[in-house]
Amino acid sequence: MVYAVQVNGLVKIYDGKVRALDGVDLTVDQGISFALLGPNGAGKTTLMRILTTQLRPTAGEAHVFGLNVVREESKVRRLISYVPQEISVWTDISGYENLLIYAKIFGVPSSEREKIIDEALENMGLSEVKNELVRTYSGGMIRRLEIACAVLIRPKIMFLDEPTIGLDPAARKAVWERLKIFKKEYGVTIFFNTHYMDEADMYADEIAIINQGKIVTGGTSKELKQSLGGEVITFTLGNNAYDPRIDQEIKKLESIRSLFIEGPSLTVIVEDAEVALPSIMNILKSMDVPVEKVSIAKPTLDDVFLKYAGTRLEDKGRISEVVRVREMVRKGGRL
Amino acid sequence: MMGLKNMLVMIELELRRLRHDRTEIYFRAVQPILWIAIFGPVMGSIRAIPTGGVPYTDFITPGVMIQTTTFVSIFYGLMMVWERDSGILKKLLVTPASRYSMVIGRSMASGVRAIFQALIIIPIALVIGVKFQPNPLCILLAFIIIFISSGGFAATSILVASFMKTRERFMGVGQAIIMPLFFASNALYPIQLMPPILREISLINPLSYVVDAVRGLLITGDTSGLLLDIAAIAIFDAVMFVLSSISFKRIIE
Repeated sequence: MVYAVQVNGLVKIYDGKVRALDGVDLTVDQGISFALLGPNGAGKTTLMRILTTQLRPTAGEAHVFGLNVVREESKVRRLISYVPQEISVWTDISGYENLLIYAKIFGVPSSEREKIIDEALENMGLSEVKNELVRTYSGGMIRRLEIACAVLIRPKIMFLDEPTIGLDPAARKAVWERLKIFKKEYGVTIFFNTHYMDEADMYADEIAIINQGKIVTGGTSKELKQSLGGEVITFTLGNNAYDPRIDQEIKKLESIRSLFIEGPSLTVIVEDAEVALPSIMNILKSMDVPVEKVSIAKPTLDDVFLKYAGTRLEDKGRISEVVRVREMVRKGGRL
Repeated sequence: MMGLKNMLVMIELELRRLRHDRTEIYFRAVQPILWIAIFGPVMGSIRAIPTGGVPYTDFITPGVMIQTTTFVSIFYGLMMVWERDSGILKKLLVTPASRYSMVIGRSMASGVRAIFQALIIIPIALVIGVKFQPNPLCILLAFIIIFISSGGFAATSILVASFMKTRERFMGVGQAIIMPLFFASNALYPIQLMPPILREISLINPLSYVVDAVRGLLITGDTSGLLLDIAAIAIFDAVMFVLSSISFKRIIE
């Protein structure tokens, strides 16, 4: 069976200097929900824009359902739908009118139009507000309207760029519940970018982690966590107690898989926490490092990310920026 | 065929927008009203400008109409920059609709807006005492010309927008295009009054041809230059449609 997405050695260099993608290889099976997880600037959006025929790669090849995204771009466009990160609906007309315009652009026959639009509105829980101006919608409603535009044409694959960025947990859940139903009913492949770990964990059948323009690892959430093995011990160190020698000393111990420092917390991945903990505590004690708190947990995706990308995913500033821009667009609508 | 349908969809979008909110059209009408209600009578009272026998206010009414519709069209590019900042353009470019049908469709959609903008001036001009040609066919043709030429100006603005990546820059450039177009045209005075260099410039100014055609059809009844005017507008539109279609993709990159 042909892959929904197949990418080989994809490179994208902006303006001859910024290397956004640095040799991406990736395959995505049909009918699954696939998450591309990575921090900002990792190349998620660039990859998605190449796959949706908006940008041309500098080198390498990408296929969507076996169609080359450069040579067969117009065929690709008939199979896909795309929801960009920014607001992509007209806010000065109603939700229904937005869908109507899209249905017409996609050439949905007029006899079916009404039915398909009503269905999409119903699916996304927007029937009651369909005749209101989009400007009056909440952030979550706008997102669902954007997804309604995307499901309207029954695509084979949907590309969603940060589909729930800036939404509150209830609105995020609502968006994903609707998407899950749609996926189950129509067997659509969902390819989404996210930097919410829990979102990838809960809603993706498969995950690939991208960092600095490269796919660093991939698999199901379970596989990724198991690849770390063992357990994660996190020490919260007393103020400014970090000493580079801690690394060297702890790494000398057996059964230590990896070790990271992020701010005041020292994360150590070990095979067996019960065995490793006393020896690590001894080292910290001998170096006079105050420990405020110790916790032991099974690995999370965040730990997976930390291991493969060398940093955590948190980025609050950026999220609030996107929320601000979306809010501005919603209010301003059009100049 | 598909392309033509998409253009109609873009026009429909504009009509739906107008149905929800027309305040912009009312506010944009203030400036042209000042031209014909104040500037026209004052300048006309001096009788310094030969207008071929029609009152000066009547003479400038088509020019003022075209100036506002050109404003509407040129600032249409601003909407493109706005839609780039939001995600709408990205999403549109991923649809099966061809790029040229998007560009021409959006341009012609601005023509719809322009027609409303021009229409709103007519009752006010009538109140002030401007005498229009009583031939409904001439009036219809004048509005078709306004519609078509607005498409060309909007395409020009999309072309400019594809080079100007921020709204602030675009605002500046927009102003810098419209006023020279207006003053180096026959909108306020006959071309014969201009210094020779300006006269040459006005020959390649598409606005002059639009004003000449509309003035002939609405006010003077002199349609001797009409075919030349229409030919010039058609060439202008065609060139701008091609150029803006080519550069359209730059907007989102």
